[in-house]
Amino acid sequence: MKQPGPEKIMKQSPYDEKWWQEWERKGGWRPEGWKIVEMNDGPTLNDLKPQKFLVVHRPHGSMFHHSYGKVSQFFIGLLEGKLYGTKCPKCGLVYCPPRAHCFNPKCRLAETKWIELPKKGEVHSYTIMAIAWPSMAHLQPLVGAMIRIDGTNTCLPMTMRDVDPEKVNIGLRVNISIVKDPKGDLLDVYATPAEEPVAPKRTPQELKRFREDMEKTRAWVKKTFGTK
Amino acid sequence: MKKVGIVAGSISRFDNPRHTLAEEMCAEAVKMLLDDVPDLELGDFIRKGYACCYSYFSDILEQQQCMHWIIHDYLGLSGVPAYRVESGGATPIDAVVNAALWIRSGMFPVVLVVGWEKMNELPIQKVNEAIAIAGDTDWDFVSGFTYNAFYATMEARRMHVYGDTEEDLAEVAVSNHNNSLDNPYAQWPAQHGFSKITVEDVYKSRLISWPYRLYECAMTSEGASALLLANEEMTKKLTDNPVWISGVGFGTDTMRAGDRPDNPAWKGLYPEDEKIWPKNIPKPMSPYPDLLNFGSLRVSARMAYKDAGIKNPRKEISFVEIFDPYAGVVLAGLEDFDFCKRGEGKKMVRDGVIQPHGELPCQLSGALTAQGHAVGSTSIAQVVDSYWQLSNQIGKKWGAPGRQLSKPKKAFIHGHGGTGCQAGAVVLEV
Repeated sequence: MKQPGPEKIMKQSPYDEKWWQEWERKGGWRPEGWKIVEMNDGPTLNDLKPQKFLVVHRPHGSMFHHSYGKVSQFFIGLLEGKLYGTKCPKCGLVYCPPRAHCFNPKCRLAETKWIELPKKGEVHSYTIMAIAWPSMAHLQPLVGAMIRIDGTNTCLPMTMRDVDPEKVNIGLRVNISIVKDPKGDLLDVYATPAEEPVAPKRTPQELKRFREDMEKTRAWVKKTFGTK
Repeated sequence: MKKVGIVAGSISRFDNPRHTLAEEMCAEAVKMLLDDVPDLELGDFIRKGYACCYSYFSDILEQQQCMHWIIHDYLGLSGVPAYRVESGGATPIDAVVNAALWIRSGMFPVVLVVGWEKMNELPIQKVNEAIAIAGDTDWDFVSGFTYNAFYATMEARRMHVYGDTEEDLAEVAVSNHNNSLDNPYAQWPAQHGFSKITVEDVYKSRLISWPYRLYECAMTSEGASALLLANEEMTKKLTDNPVWISGVGFGTDTMRAGDRPDNPAWKGLYPEDEKIWPKNIPKPMSPYPDLLNFGSLRVSARMAYKDAGIKNPRKEISFVEIFDPYAGVVLAGLEDFDFCKRGEGKKMVRDGVIQPHGELPCQLSGALTAQGHAVGSTSIAQVVDSYWQLSNQIGKKWGAPGRQLSKPKKAFIHGHGGTGCQAGAVVLEV
C-alpha cells in the first residue's frame, strides 16, 4: 500500500479568492428586505379567500471547487486550443463528451484512450434561442446546435456564430473553434458554418413569423443592451 | 401478486405564486382526501403499519433539503415509515409506481402518496437554472442550453425527419389550454381567464426557443396533490368506487440526449424502426430513439402494458395523460406509447383523435402547459384527474359534469424527467 500524497498545483489561473469569500459571507441567508402581500388563495378555484403573507428577500450563494476528474484532459486541451475525445480500444467508439470508461455494454467498462479530434463536424439538430442564459442574452437570437464532431459517435451541444438563424439546418458542415480566452468549460467551444447554409423549407407564413420573431428578439436586445 | 387500488385522490390547485407553504398545500390536499375516506384515521398509519411516499423534485428551489421530513411532521405522521422519491420530472409518476410496488410486495396495506413543488421563490432565470442542472452540468448545462433549447433541438429534428409542423405543435397547445378551462385546479384559467384560445393566439405568444413558443411550454407552478393507494382488501373496505392500478412501468435513457444517436446499448434493439428510416437522411447507429423519440417512454409504456395485460393499447385505452413539458412530447409520446407508428403522432393530432370527444382523448386536465407543472405534484395530479374520470367523479370534483367521459374503462398516465432520461407509466382501470 502507498498513500496518495498531497495535491500538487501544476499551474493555475488568477482567482480572487477574498472577493468570493466576501460574496459567500454576504449571501448568507439574513433577509435583505421584506414585503407583506395580500392575495386570494385556496385549494381550488371554487374555494378562494383573501389571505396575508410575509415574503422575505433571503440571499445565499457559494463558490464550488469542481474537478473534471479523469476527463480533465478535454478541458486542459481547451486551455491549449485543442479538441480531445476518448476512444474505446475494444469497440472503437469515439466519445466527445469523453468517457474515461466505455459505456458499450459489450466492453465491460473498458478504459478508453485519448485522441485529438478534428475541429470539423456536422449539425445533427439545432434551435434558435430567444431566451438564452442571462450572461448570453445579448447574443439573442442565439443558434444552439447538437454537433457531431467528425469521427465521433456522440453529439456535443454548442452555440453557433456567424450564421443566419434563418439558414441553419440539419446536415450543415461546421468548423469548431475555441475562444481566445478559454475559461475551462464547454462555453469555450463554438461552431461556425464551413459551407454556404441552405435554409430549411418553410411555408410563407412560417417564414414571415420567423422573421418577425427574429426582429422582435433583436429589438429587445438593442433596447436592453444597446448593441446589435 | 396483490392488486393495488386507488381509494381517493386530491389536488391543491396549481398557480404561481401560491405563497402558501409546501406543508400547508400538502395539508390542504390531504385534508380533502380524508374528507373522501371517512373510515381512515391518520393515527391508523402508525398503529396499523401503513406508509407514506413523498414526491418533490428540487431541494434548490426552496433551498431546503429533506423537505419531506417537514411535510411528514406537519401531517402528524411522525413515526410512520416514509421516504422521498426523486427522479427529475419523473419524480411524481415514479412515486406512484413506487407506492404501488410497496403494496404489491405485501409490505404495506395502505400507502399515502403526497407530491408538491414551490417554484416562485427564485427569479425565473434561476428557476430555469435549477431545472436545467438536472442536465449534466459539465456537458449539457454549460453549453448555454436550457431545457427549452434541448427539447427544441429534438423537435427541430422531428420536423426534419418526420415532417412535424409548427401548426401541429400549436394544435397541441390549443387542445391543452382549452381542456383546462373547466378545471378548477388549473393554473391557465386562474391567470388568464376562461376563454378559449386558437392557433393564432399560440403564434402570438413569444418565441422561447425555436420552434417552441411560450404557450407550447410547461408553466412553472406551485401546488400539491395526494393519492391514497391500498391493497385489494383495504381498498374495498375504504371505498365502494375503486379504480385499480393494473400496470406500472419505468425506463431510462442516456443522461445526455447527444449520446443517443449512436448509443451502443440500443443498437439493433428495435429492428422494425430501422426499416422505416427515410432514405435521404443519414441513419445513425441507433435510429430509435435518436433525438426524435424518447426511448425511456417506450420502455416504461411497454412494461406497463405487459404488466396490465394490454395487447392493443390504441383500442384498449380510453384516455391518456401525457407528461408534456413541451408540446412536441405529445407528438413523440403517441408514437413511443405504441398508439401509432413513429412519425405518425402528428396525424393523430391532425385527425382530432386526441380531442375530448375523439377516439383517444389526451390531456383532459390541460396537462403541463395549462393545468400546470408543480413538478413533484404534476403526474400525481394527472393520476388524480384520471382517477376522477374513471370513478365518474368529474362532475363532483371539477363542478363540470359535461367534462365527464362516458364510461371510460382504462387510462394511461405517463411521466418523464430530463430529456427523457427517465420515465414512468401507470395503467388505471375500473
